[in-house]
Amino acid sequence: MWFDMKLAWRNIFRNKRRTFIAGIAIGVGLAAMLFTDALMIGMKDNMIRSATKSFLGEGQIHRKGFRLTPDVEKTINNLDGIISNLKQEEAVERFTPRTVTFGMITSPANVSSVMVYGIQPSSEKFLSQIDDVLKEGNYFKGDGERNIVIGSDLAELLEVGIGDRTVITATQAESGNLVQEMFRVSGIYHFNVKEMDTGMAFVRLSKAQEMLGIGNDVHEIAIKFKDIHFAAKKDNPFWSKYSVHGNEAVSWTTLLPQLHAMLGIFWISLLVMGIILFGIVAFGIVNTLFMSLYERMFEFGVIRAVGTRPSGIRRLILLEAGALSLLSIVLGILLGSIITLIFVKVGIDYRGIEIAGTSFHEMLYPVIHIQQYIIYPIAVFAFTLLIGLYPALVASKMSISEALRKSL
Amino acid sequence: MENNGQKIIVTENVKKDYKEDDIVVRAVRGIDLTIKAGEFTAIVGPSGSGKTTFLNVISGLDMATDGKVWLHERLLSEMNEKELSDFRRDHIGFIFQAYNLIPVLTVEENIEYIMLLQGVPKKERHRRVIDILKEIGMEGMEKRYPPKISGGQQQRVAIARAMVSQPELILADEPTANLDQATGAELLGLMRELNRKTGMTFLFSTHDRMVMERADRVIRLKDGKVEKDERKSQH
Repeated sequence: MWFDMKLAWRNIFRNKRRTFIAGIAIGVGLAAMLFTDALMIGMKDNMIRSATKSFLGEGQIHRKGFRLTPDVEKTINNLDGIISNLKQEEAVERFTPRTVTFGMITSPANVSSVMVYGIQPSSEKFLSQIDDVLKEGNYFKGDGERNIVIGSDLAELLEVGIGDRTVITATQAESGNLVQEMFRVSGIYHFNVKEMDTGMAFVRLSKAQEMLGIGNDVHEIAIKFKDIHFAAKKDNPFWSKYSVHGNEAVSWTTLLPQLHAMLGIFWISLLVMGIILFGIVAFGIVNTLFMSLYERMFEFGVIRAVGTRPSGIRRLILLEAGALSLLSIVLGILLGSIITLIFVKVGIDYRGIEIAGTSFHEMLYPVIHIQQYIIYPIAVFAFTLLIGLYPALVASKMSISEALRKSL
Repeated sequence: MENNGQKIIVTENVKKDYKEDDIVVRAVRGIDLTIKAGEFTAIVGPSGSGKTTFLNVISGLDMATDGKVWLHERLLSEMNEKELSDFRRDHIGFIFQAYNLIPVLTVEENIEYIMLLQGVPKKERHRRVIDILKEIGMEGMEKRYPPKISGGQQQRVAIARAMVSQPELILADEPTANLDQATGAELLGLMRELNRKTGMTFLFSTHDRMVMERADRVIRLKDGKVEKDERKSQH
């Protein structure tokens, strides 16, 4: 076997240029896979972060049924118990309570329906990025109870600016009476996501609770975990633990099914790309091995004539395929690492681009995982051997006398 | 090895047809022949007379269309591909016209190739390689690669490779065809000497008058049949 390996290794260097070109072709395929995988992971993390960090949180707790029909009186049950438990959760980094209600916002110039959120600015700033994307005014600075922060498109629609008055009309709990409160625009944000820039308005939690007549109750608790992947883990007991007392705790995968589905498609596109790249690799290998085989027909004839069994010929060709693959893997890892590391350093600017309702707010950085450098090289190696079987079978089945006639 | 007159090759009405561009070519048209151990025999004839085809058939490189071939009392048609490979490895040495050697293997590695297939231990292989290189006058050249030695030296290495595993039969297909006359004569002398020394059977297919002159027996083929089978007295 050692002798065969030595022979195979030397054989692939008989035509250095061809081997180098084939090695580069396969290596580029592998490098592309390594880079794409790293980019996909980076993009996935970035999209999850962008979607959850902007406002949603990585998970939320509501009264059961609130997500379907967000009635004002459907506040979270056992709020104090939940807050006390969340404070002790090892996995939870931050959480914030909110009230959520449909309302009408009116200015002297126009009127629009919005989701009115009552928020606690001190904890909210860790869960959402409203304060980060303010383009005018401030984020609930001072004690102004009647401050309201709205999106840029909504401000444009209402034709209001900082300090201008608006009126929120909402329904009170229990009585169902309409209530109107005046607010002054204290901040205008721009998320670059249409729904958020036109359809949301933020007021202080205490004022919202008072307006809605729900005492100290809230409709929503948004949660951020220490590990970004925690929320999406399958069979995570966290959600069932908090889905008690008539409440419902769900992760972003349930809250943003379109993003979840989109990320699923990411892997399909990676798979499709993988199939295409592996197809190119396959043609590269088969072409190289066959060229090498036809060039050495007489030699194979001699080797068979002197007593090498057909299995010996198959082994030799497969070893040559393996040697070519090893060489290509080294080239691919080198190339893939260099390209990925460059982009890990400089990043890719996707900021402002919206995909599946999620706008990128951060630079996109590929994420290198050690598994990429194990799985893909092994896959290329195994695939090369699999593809090498074809020329190996052809070589082992050729007629010796015909092979001996070939190059003379 | 002693020349005991044992029958090495026996053929009985051997025929071989092959197709070339949908035309059936009758290369060998019924040859009955017996080659005994220790013979130094040349098969001669014009191009297309069936020399190489006949050599391929009696060595199991190709199967006869009809007729029987016994090699060492084994009927070749009864062996499968693997058995034929093992049989050739253990009983037949091959020398071809040119490009005999694997260019990426050294002289030593080329010679030991068959012994490797036979599972001969490394030390024994090395000893035999050194001995045979001495025998063919190429001692000290074991680490050279074929492209770095002359054509004549390459054929010497091919002879060494064919003989090193001590087969009973050496088949040589036009071994001097690509060599100049002096080198050819030198190689032929070497093979003759080895034939006498070891008793190995040599069977050549050749055009070379020099080979015919030195052979004990000359079998002349014409149109796939034996035209003349001439035995000479021992040199």
